Amino acid sequence: MIEVENLSRSYGSRKALDSISFQVPSGSVTGFLGPNGAGKTTTLRVLTSWLLPDPGTEKVMVCGVDLLREPRLACRKVGALLEQLPLPGELRVCEFLHSRARLKGISGSQIPAEIQRVLEDVDAVDASRRGIGTLSQGYRQRIGLADALLGDPPVLLLDEPTRGLDPRQVALFRELVDRLRHQHTIILSSHVLGEVEQICDRVCMISAGKICLDEDREAWTRRLEISGTTRVEVVDGSDDVAVGLATLDGVSEVLTDGPGWILHGDRDLRRSIGELARQKEWVLSELSTDPATLESLFLQLTHPGAES
Amino acid sequence: MMRVASLARRELLTLFVSPVAWTITFVFLLVMGMTFHLSLLSVGGDLQQLVPAIYSGYVFWFMMLIFPPLISMRTLAEERRTGSLEMLVTTGIADATVITAKWISTWIFFMFLWLCMLPLWLLLDGVGQVDFGVLLSAHLGIALVGAGFCAAGILASALTSHPLASAGLAMAINLVLFLVEWLRFLYEPGDLQLRWIEHFSAVHHIGAEMTRGIVDLRVPIWWVSFTILMLFIATKVLERRRW
Repeated sequence: MIEVENLSRSYGSRKALDSISFQVPSGSVTGFLGPNGAGKTTTLRVLTSWLLPDPGTEKVMVCGVDLLREPRLACRKVGALLEQLPLPGELRVCEFLHSRARLKGISGSQIPAEIQRVLEDVDAVDASRRGIGTLSQGYRQRIGLADALLGDPPVLLLDEPTRGLDPRQVALFRELVDRLRHQHTIILSSHVLGEVEQICDRVCMISAGKICLDEDREAWTRRLEISGTTRVEVVDGSDDVAVGLATLDGVSEVLTDGPGWILHGDRDLRRSIGELARQKEWVLSELSTDPATLESLFLQLTHPGAES
Repeated sequence: MMRVASLARRELLTLFVSPVAWTITFVFLLVMGMTFHLSLLSVGGDLQQLVPAIYSGYVFWFMMLIFPPLISMRTLAEERRTGSLEMLVTTGIADATVITAKWISTWIFFMFLWLCMLPLWLLLDGVGQVDFGVLLSAHLGIALVGAGFCAAGILASALTSHPLASAGLAMAINLVLFLVEWLRFLYEPGDLQLRWIEHFSAVHHIGAEMTRGIVDLRVPIWWVSFTILMLFIATKVLERRRW
């Protein structure tokens, strides 16, 4: 489990993280979303102990280890696949993983079996003897993931893990995450919202150094349902219909759409539209909802003018 | 210690599978081979004079000033630039371990270059009498001064993310320790008040003492202290990136 309370981190006078708090439950996959420069990578860098938080940060716990007091011990609980993946091109895959395993403190006798296990996990056993410099981007990504899995750390931080993978490899990656989710706490930072929607149990959105959404799947799915659009079409409808719809509670905007209207609101409007139609004796020829997508929610919440 | 050894081994492996190490070795052996030959001619076959002739000449000092910075320039600067330093630190390895391992690998490679000349001495011993005691003393001096110069190179590499800038900075540090010898012109030979300058002079330590078989205990203490100081500062510089 990861617990973060009032985490701040500045670069000079610029605040990259502004007192953010979130929790990642054990055995869950949390999607970490945000525009470029929002603070995602800075958060991950704090969790890997590459960066220290600012003074005033109250709590950063990784699997029960206080990262503020014991950063190196906390770091050993974490396997990280970094966004920038600088693998040594002059080494073979097995040599690279062997040296990484030693650095992670895995005993010499266990290293060959451990390398075999992680290479099987990422479907890259055939690349074991190949030079890293000759590998495709997809293979390099998989070797980076294999490195993160070395030592079976309880927490995995995956920064853009499917970048450069072909569709088959992306599907394999999803299967891998499905297998890993029961034994690991996973934070997945990605710009591929569809991937996050499919894989993650929780979503944490960050914008301008602040958390603007931190919800589990049930809550965010509900939010998507109620923050979608509703389309209304009334037989022989006039401008009065638009005026009437605009007076409904929860309606933020009414737009004309051909013979009908599209309503934006912050809740499910179908029941109140039905009641209004009964009162006004309108004959509805269409009443349908179009749920919001994670993408529209992302754009809405991370808009520069949006309040967190 | 296991992590230091693992990282140092990986550093050496990375170095030796790249063309950089072999290019440096080739250039080193070419220059030092020619120096060996010309020095042998200049001392007229007097093998007692050969060790000081080789290990205190301008070419020797040129190699000492140039090669440690060239070997160490990529150790941290390149890793920081490419991001592999971040990957390394995410294993939970201590900054002091990283610095120590990088220095050990750099120093081992530096000493490997000098040991490559050993066959020349063995060959010469077959036709004359080489004083291996003096030769050992000279190499002890090279090892000590090389340790300090490599540590200065590691510090320079920690300070910048550009390998060439790192090499330039390391050469400047080494040059100061080389040029201190010139300050000896400031005082008369009997002036004991300014004798302390000798303690900072790399040239004096190797050229005047160790190539003649003189090992003053103060010399190893000075260079070991200098090496530790450089590595300590490099560790602090590396830690600073986290703040």
